Amino acid sequence: MKRKLAVVCIMMLSATTILSGCGGSSDDSSSGGKTKIRFATWDVAEDVDKQQELVDKFNEEHDDIEVTLEAYGSDFDTKISAGMGSGDTPDVMYMWNYPAYYDGLEPLDDYIAEEGDEYKSNFYNTLWDYNMMDGSTYGIPVGFTTHCLFYNKDIFDEAGVEYPTADWTWDDLQAAAKTISEKTDAKGFSFQMKPDPYDFEMYLWSNGTSYCDENGEMDGYINSEESQEVFQMFQDMEKDEYATSTEGDGTDEFRAGSTAMYVYGSWAINTLNEDGVNYGVTTIPAFADAGQDSVSILSSSGLSMSKDSEHKDAAWEFIKYWTNEECNKARIGTELPVLNTVVESEGIMEQEEYAPFYTMLEQSQGHTPASFLIDSWSEVAENLQLSFEQIFNPSSLQPVDKALESAVQ
Amino acid sequence: MKKKKFLKTATPYFFILPWIIGFLVFTFGPLLLSLIMSFFDWPLTGEKVFVGLGNYIEMFTQDDQVLKSLGISLRYAAIFVPLNLILALFLAMLITQPLRGVKVYRAIFYIPAAISSVAISIIWSWILNSDYGVLNYLLSLIGIEGPDWLVDPAWAIFAVILASAFGVGTMMLIFYTDMKNISTEIYEAASIDGAGPARKFFSITLPIITPTLLFNLITSIISSFQQVTLVMLLTGGGPLQSTYFYGLMTYNNAFKHHKMGYASANAWVMFIIILLLTALVFKSSSAWVFYESEVKADNKKKKRGGK
Repeated sequence: MKRKLAVVCIMMLSATTILSGCGGSSDDSSSGGKTKIRFATWDVAEDVDKQQELVDKFNEEHDDIEVTLEAYGSDFDTKISAGMGSGDTPDVMYMWNYPAYYDGLEPLDDYIAEEGDEYKSNFYNTLWDYNMMDGSTYGIPVGFTTHCLFYNKDIFDEAGVEYPTADWTWDDLQAAAKTISEKTDAKGFSFQMKPDPYDFEMYLWSNGTSYCDENGEMDGYINSEESQEVFQMFQDMEKDEYATSTEGDGTDEFRAGSTAMYVYGSWAINTLNEDGVNYGVTTIPAFADAGQDSVSILSSSGLSMSKDSEHKDAAWEFIKYWTNEECNKARIGTELPVLNTVVESEGIMEQEEYAPFYTMLEQSQGHTPASFLIDSWSEVAENLQLSFEQIFNPSSLQPVDKALESAVQ
Repeated sequence: MKKKKFLKTATPYFFILPWIIGFLVFTFGPLLLSLIMSFFDWPLTGEKVFVGLGNYIEMFTQDDQVLKSLGISLRYAAIFVPLNLILALFLAMLITQPLRGVKVYRAIFYIPAAISSVAISIIWSWILNSDYGVLNYLLSLIGIEGPDWLVDPAWAIFAVILASAFGVGTMMLIFYTDMKNISTEIYEAASIDGAGPARKFFSITLPIITPTLLFNLITSIISSFQQVTLVMLLTGGGPLQSTYFYGLMTYNNAFKHHKMGYASANAWVMFIIILLLTALVFKSSSAWVFYESEVKADNKKKKRGGK
């Protein structure tokens, strides 16, 4: 009798394991008459809570669609990769790395066309370039940042140097940095020792060149004279010891007051405000001989649809919601709004810490990052990063021409 | 009658069924799939093309990074494994001493092993930072100018070793439990014969715990080759790729460059290398590992032979 009971228990136990094992994948996607949409985000912590609120709101407003938020955090790329590999991609997902993933994404041009011209033109034009691949649009812009020059007002005051302005050139920056290093304990300027090649291309653009031509050919571009000038300038600043190269992105050094200036995206604003750093923001200095304004790279995020999604109309409905004015407004503080109407109505351009990012955005039209042009970008980027590090790492400081020559190969 | 007999023989299998299912689904299945993948050009999206041994050939003929990374991993293992063993053994000896408050120390030494390696990486990246890190500050107090741990390629690997040695607690605990099992009579007998602490350690403790030593040696060889998290978060493979471990290279090939097939081939080569190293250690173990049961069996044989 006892044994029988034991056997029954085991059978039940194993049955439940098997059933629950299968249950995960055989989730019926339209149970209860509602279309279920899976939505993947890379955000973490409080940002996810905010997103969940917005998702809940959407679900309340729609009787026929139910969106579930899946927060992948730092595993985002791994999980999206794995999802695409196994045909189990979320219906809607955050996206920035289009060259790597566009194969698995739904082209959205037809959907956009249906919404009319005004829908499209309300977004800042430059943003569309960053959500496209091979002439098709794969994402609707959600947020972006350009890069700007942050400066510590207290250190400038201490050294008695005028604050940076929008018409500064790098020569002005160098002169100011020198004075600051001499008169205070802080270094005048800092830049990343191991910059992300994607970000660093903006300096080459600003000096009238790029990593490669439209076909992804790098020879004659990254090792061009203009390009060498850029790298040489940064290396010289480091060698002359009024600038320093930082292990991380430079925010920590800036917060600690050990550097007076650095170039970074709008990500730093919240942290710096919380710390109570007395800082200012302005556009990146231009190269004096380049005869053009400085240009910034865009770090942009968009919302994409999986090409394997079974409920594309519902997914589009949600994408439209997530990128509308209401949600743009709700995200202010974590994302810079991407809609002209929202920037106007919320008076973003009057806020001096945000306005320069939009100025940079307008100055930065018409450049295509090398990541969109070079097929095996992630591997090329790894090589480039190594070359850049060879130039900027204080324990190597390799000659610029040699390091860039090896980057071409 | 027959039914009852079936149930009787089947019952144990039902007990281990959940584990078997778990093993098949989560270990054996992926293992098999990765072996198959390693013979394909397997991008994330798009066509998968069968390339036979192409991935393996590419690894050793075209990709310089494979041998470089393998070298880095080997160097790391060569320093880390002995260091970790000695450190664990030393700490285990300390916490077996009959002292007041030894339990507190035991907990303190073990705590780092209970912290996730992500947290450890972040803690150490602060400790080792050349500008505001506490380690260089402490060194400066005794008049030493500390190196740029995470910037200077010559020092970065030691920084990684230092950070991984932080998790020595698990191994220490295994040594400790084994040492606790050694009967005190043996030590007493040795003391009467006039053996000092060093003599007792090398002639009693060490020989008795050799099976544990073997176990720890093998697991730490394996884990040192599989080290990914720490380098990924602490150094990102840098500076100047001086800590670009084999495991990190494999990870990047798979999840950064999206070359699943190639990365699977990387992983299988590592598997084979680990297998060979482990086999080598096992093979050598007959020379230096002593099992009590073996010794007893040997004695019996000898006795019988003597008769």
